[in-house]
Amino acid sequence: MDMIANLTLGFGVALSLQNLALCFAGCFIGTLIGVLPGVGPIATIAILLPITFGVDPVGALIMLAGIYYGAQYGGSTTAILVNIPGEATSVVTTLDGHQMAKQGRAGVALGVAALGSFFAGCVATVFIAALGAPLTKLALLFGPAEYFSLMVMGLCFAVVLARGSILKAFCMIMLGLLLSTVGTDLETGQERLTFGFPPLSDGIDFAVLAMGVFGFAEVLRNLENPEARDVVKAKIGRLLPNWSEIKQSINPVLRGTFIGGILGILPGNGAVLGPFASYTIEKKIAKDPSRFGRGAIEGVAGPESANNAGAQTAFIPLLTLGIPPNAVMALMVGAMTIHGIIPGPQVMTKNPELFWGMIASMWIGNLMLVIINLPLVGVWVKLLQVPYRLMFPAILIFCCIGIYSVNNQPVDVAFTAMFGLFGYLLIKLGFEPAPMLLGFVLGKLLEEKMRQALIISRGSFMTFIERPISAGLLIVAVVVLAIALLPSISKKRDEVFVE
Amino acid sequence: MSLNPIEQAQGLRIRSQQDMAAGLFMVVLGVFAFLLSSDLPLGSLRQIGPGMLPKSFAVICAGLGVMLSLASLRFNGEKLTGWAWRGVFLVLGGACLFGLAIRGFDIGPIHIPQLGLLVAGPLVILISGLAADDMKWKELIIFAIAMTTACALLFKYALSLPIPLAPWLLGI
Amino acid sequence: MRKLTLGLAAAITIAFAGGVQAQTYPTRPVTMIVPFAAGGPTDIIARIVADHMSKTLGQQLVIENVAGAGGTTGIARAITAAPDGYTIAMGHLGTFSAAPATYPGLKYDPINGMQAIGLAGGTPILIVARKTFEPKDLKEFVTYVKANSEKVNEAHAGLGSVSWTTCTLLKAQLGVPKINAVAYRGTGPALNDLVSGQVDFMCDQIVSVAEQVKAGNIKAYAIASKQRSPALPDVPTTAEAGLPEYQIEAWNGIAGPKGLPKDVVDRLVAALDKALNDEGTKKRLLELGTVMPTAEERTPAGFAALIKRDADRLSPALSAAPK
Repeated sequence: MDMIANLTLGFGVALSLQNLALCFAGCFIGTLIGVLPGVGPIATIAILLPITFGVDPVGALIMLAGIYYGAQYGGSTTAILVNIPGEATSVVTTLDGHQMAKQGRAGVALGVAALGSFFAGCVATVFIAALGAPLTKLALLFGPAEYFSLMVMGLCFAVVLARGSILKAFCMIMLGLLLSTVGTDLETGQERLTFGFPPLSDGIDFAVLAMGVFGFAEVLRNLENPEARDVVKAKIGRLLPNWSEIKQSINPVLRGTFIGGILGILPGNGAVLGPFASYTIEKKIAKDPSRFGRGAIEGVAGPESANNAGAQTAFIPLLTLGIPPNAVMALMVGAMTIHGIIPGPQVMTKNPELFWGMIASMWIGNLMLVIINLPLVGVWVKLLQVPYRLMFPAILIFCCIGIYSVNNQPVDVAFTAMFGLFGYLLIKLGFEPAPMLLGFVLGKLLEEKMRQALIISRGSFMTFIERPISAGLLIVAVVVLAIALLPSISKKRDEVFVE
Repeated sequence: MSLNPIEQAQGLRIRSQQDMAAGLFMVVLGVFAFLLSSDLPLGSLRQIGPGMLPKSFAVICAGLGVMLSLASLRFNGEKLTGWAWRGVFLVLGGACLFGLAIRGFDIGPIHIPQLGLLVAGPLVILISGLAADDMKWKELIIFAIAMTTACALLFKYALSLPIPLAPWLLGI
Repeated sequence: MRKLTLGLAAAITIAFAGGVQAQTYPTRPVTMIVPFAAGGPTDIIARIVADHMSKTLGQQLVIENVAGAGGTTGIARAITAAPDGYTIAMGHLGTFSAAPATYPGLKYDPINGMQAIGLAGGTPILIVARKTFEPKDLKEFVTYVKANSEKVNEAHAGLGSVSWTTCTLLKAQLGVPKINAVAYRGTGPALNDLVSGQVDFMCDQIVSVAEQVKAGNIKAYAIASKQRSPALPDVPTTAEAGLPEYQIEAWNGIAGPKGLPKDVVDRLVAALDKALNDEGTKKRLLELGTVMPTAEERTPAGFAALIKRDADRLSPALSAAPK
C-alpha cells in the first residue's frame, strides 16, 4: 500500500497553509487567463515565474500547475459563450457548447463542463498516483512511425466530426494541412509558402488562426444576422444540470476521461486528440447523431472531461521521465530547473515531497476550481446580457491584446484580421472551420513524424505497417473512416429511393 | 439532395451556387499554393524534401475543389448570400489599426510612432463599434475609456504582460 | 496575492515617476528580448540574471520572448532598436556566432553591427547516445560512426538549434558530414526518441540531458569542455577521451544595438557583473550546470572576442552542412 503512504505524504505537503494559498492563486489566475481569449498559460507561466522565486519549489510548481489546468477550465467558458477556442483542446467545445448557449442553455453547458472536468480531474489524479510509473513505458513505445499513424487516425476522426457535407469537411482538413506547411522547413531551413515575408517564416500561430476564423469571423457573422445574437442574450437558463441531463452526461464523461487520460500520456501533444476522439465516439454511438452540432450535451460533457484528464496526465511523462510532452510542460521543465530541480526519472525518489505534493495538489486544485467556477458561471452568463453592440468591441480588444502578447508581434494582429476575412469567406461558402483547425494542429506533427520515420527506415513505407502499434492505429483509422463514409453513401441511396 | 427524373432531364446546370463557388475557391487555393511551392524540391522517399507535402496537399485541395464543383452540378444546395462589407471593413480595419498603433510600424516611407495601448485600445473599440446598427456615440466613448483602463490594469499590472501603454507620454 | 498587489502599486509608481524626469539611465523599465520561447535554457538564464540586474539598475528588466527563425527574429529586433539602452537582448552561440553561416539572408551583423555587453554563462555540450548503442567509449564511437556512416542516425532539435550547430561541427570534424540527421522540433521530442532507442546519438546542452544520463536512460561519451562538470563527474572531457579538437560551449550573453552610449554599457556591464557575483544567483546558475564566465568574458571586448572566435570556428562546417 505504498500509494496510500505516498498520497498521505503528498496531502501533508499540499495542505500546508502556504501551498493551499498558492494552489488557489494558481487556479484563480488560470481561470482568468483561460477566459481571456489569446492569453494562454504559456505566456502567463513564463511571466509569473520570477514571482515564484521567493517560495520553495514545491509551492512554486503547485501554483504553476494550477495555472495550467485552471486555464483548461476557463478556456471552455470562452468557447461556450463567445465561440472562441483559446486552446487547441477547446475547439470541439465550441461546436455544441456554443449552440447550447444560443439556445439559452449556457448555464447548463458551463455547469456540465465544470462538473465533468472536476470528475475527470479527480480520476486523473488517482491515475497518475497509481499508474504514473508503469505508464511511462507507454510513452516510450511511441516512435515516429507510431506517431504518424496516430495523427492519421486523428485526421480520420476529423471526418467523423463533420457536420453536413463530408466532401466539404475533407476540403477543410486538407486546407488545414496545407496551412500547417507554411513556414521554414525544419530540416532544410527553406522558406515554404511565406511570400518571402519574415513574420511568416515561423509558420502561422495557432492562436492567430483560431482567433481569426472563430473569433473575428464569428463577430462578422453575428453583425450580419442580428437575430442570431439576440437569442444568446434572451435567456440565461439554469446553472446546474437537471437529473435527465446528468444521466445523459455520465457515460460521455466516463468515456471522455478514459480517452483523454490515455492520450494525454503520449509524447508530442497527444492530448490535443483527446477531445476530438471523445467527440467522435459520442457522435458515433449516439442514437441520434444529428443532434450533434446543434447543442447536444454529450458533445460538451465528453470532450471537456477528455481535455481536463489529458491536461493532467500530460504531467506523467514530465514527472516520471523528465520529458515534456507539450509546450506548457516544456515551460514547467524550465520552472523546475530555475528552482534547482532538474526534471528526470529521479524526481520521484529524490524529491518525493515534490512529486506527491504536486499530485495531491492537483486534486485539491480541481476541487477549488469547481468552487471558483460554479458561482462564476452566473457571472459569465450575466455577461451575455451585455448588449452585443458593446460586447463585440470588448471581444475584439481582448483578442487583439491576447494575440499581441503571444509573440509580442504587432503584425500577428493584422494576420488575425486577415484570417477573420478568410473565416468569413469560409462561412459564406458553407465550410465548417473546426476540421481545418484540427488539420492545422496535426499537420506539423504529421509531416515531422513522417519524415523522421522515413529517414530512420531509409525510405521504406513498410515501417508504418511492420510495427504492430502503428499498424493497429492505421487499422482503427480505416475502420473509423469506413464507418463515417458508409452511412453517407447509403443515405444518398435511400434518398434516391425516396424520390 | 439528389435529383428527380424531371430535374435530371434538364441536363447540367449550377444547382448549388455556394458549392460551385466553394469548389472554385479550393481549386484557386490549390493552384496558388502549388505555384508558390513550385521551386521547392520534392526530395525522395528516403529523404523527403521540403516541397513534398505542400505540393501533395495543394494537388489534393485542387482535386477536392473540382469534385465539389462537379457535385454542385448534380445536387441542389444553397445560394450565395451578400456580404456585409461595412462590418468587415470596420471590424477588421479596427483590429489592423490596433496592430499598427500598439508598438509603432514602418511601412515604406510611412512611419507610425509607438502609440501604445492607451491609444490603440480606444481606437479599436471606437472604430469597430461603428459597425453596430444600434451604435450610440456617448455610450461607446465611455465604454472605450472604461475598457481601455480595465485592460491596462488587467494585462499590464495584474498579469504583467510586457505591453506598451503610452511610451510617448508615460515612458512605458 | 500580496506580492501581486505590491508589484502593482510599485509598477504604477514607477510608471508615473518615469514619465516626468529623465536623469541617469535607466529611468524606465528596460526590455530584454529573449529570442526563444519561454522555458528554454536561454530563457531560464535570462530570467535568473535579469532578476538580480533589476535590483542593481533600480528599474525592472522586463523579459520579452520574441521567438522565431532560430532566434534571429528577436535578435534582429533588439539590434535594430534605438540605441538608448532600453532594448537589449540575451542571445546564444547560435544567434551570435552561428547565425551568419546558418542563415544566408541574416538581417544583422553580430560581429561588426552590434554592441556586445557581456557573457552571462556557458553550458557545456555532451555527446550522448541511446543506452544500447554498441560503442562503449568515445574512441569506439568515432571508429564506429566512421565505419557505419550509412547506418547511424543522429537526432537534433531543428536547423539552427544548439544541438544542430554543435553536432554539425562534430560531424565535420569526424569527416562524416552526411550522416542521417533526424530533425525534431526541440530537444524534448529528440530526447524522447533517444531514450526509447529510435535514434542513435545526439549532442546537446548538459542541462537538457544530465538527468537522463544519471538515470541510465542514455549514455554520455564525453563533455566538450576543458573540465569535467560537477553535475556529471564521471563523464570524461573530450580531451581525456581522445577527441581534443572537439571543444564547444553553448554560451549565453547580453548584447544591444551598435552605438549604445558608453555610460549605458558601463551600467549594464556593472549590473551583470554584480548579478554573477551574487551568491544566490550564482547558486541558481551552477545548479543548471552553467560554467561561470571569467572576468574577461564579462566585459564587452572579451565577449565580442568570444563571438568572433566561435564564428570563425563554426562557419566552415555550417556553410558546408547539408541544409
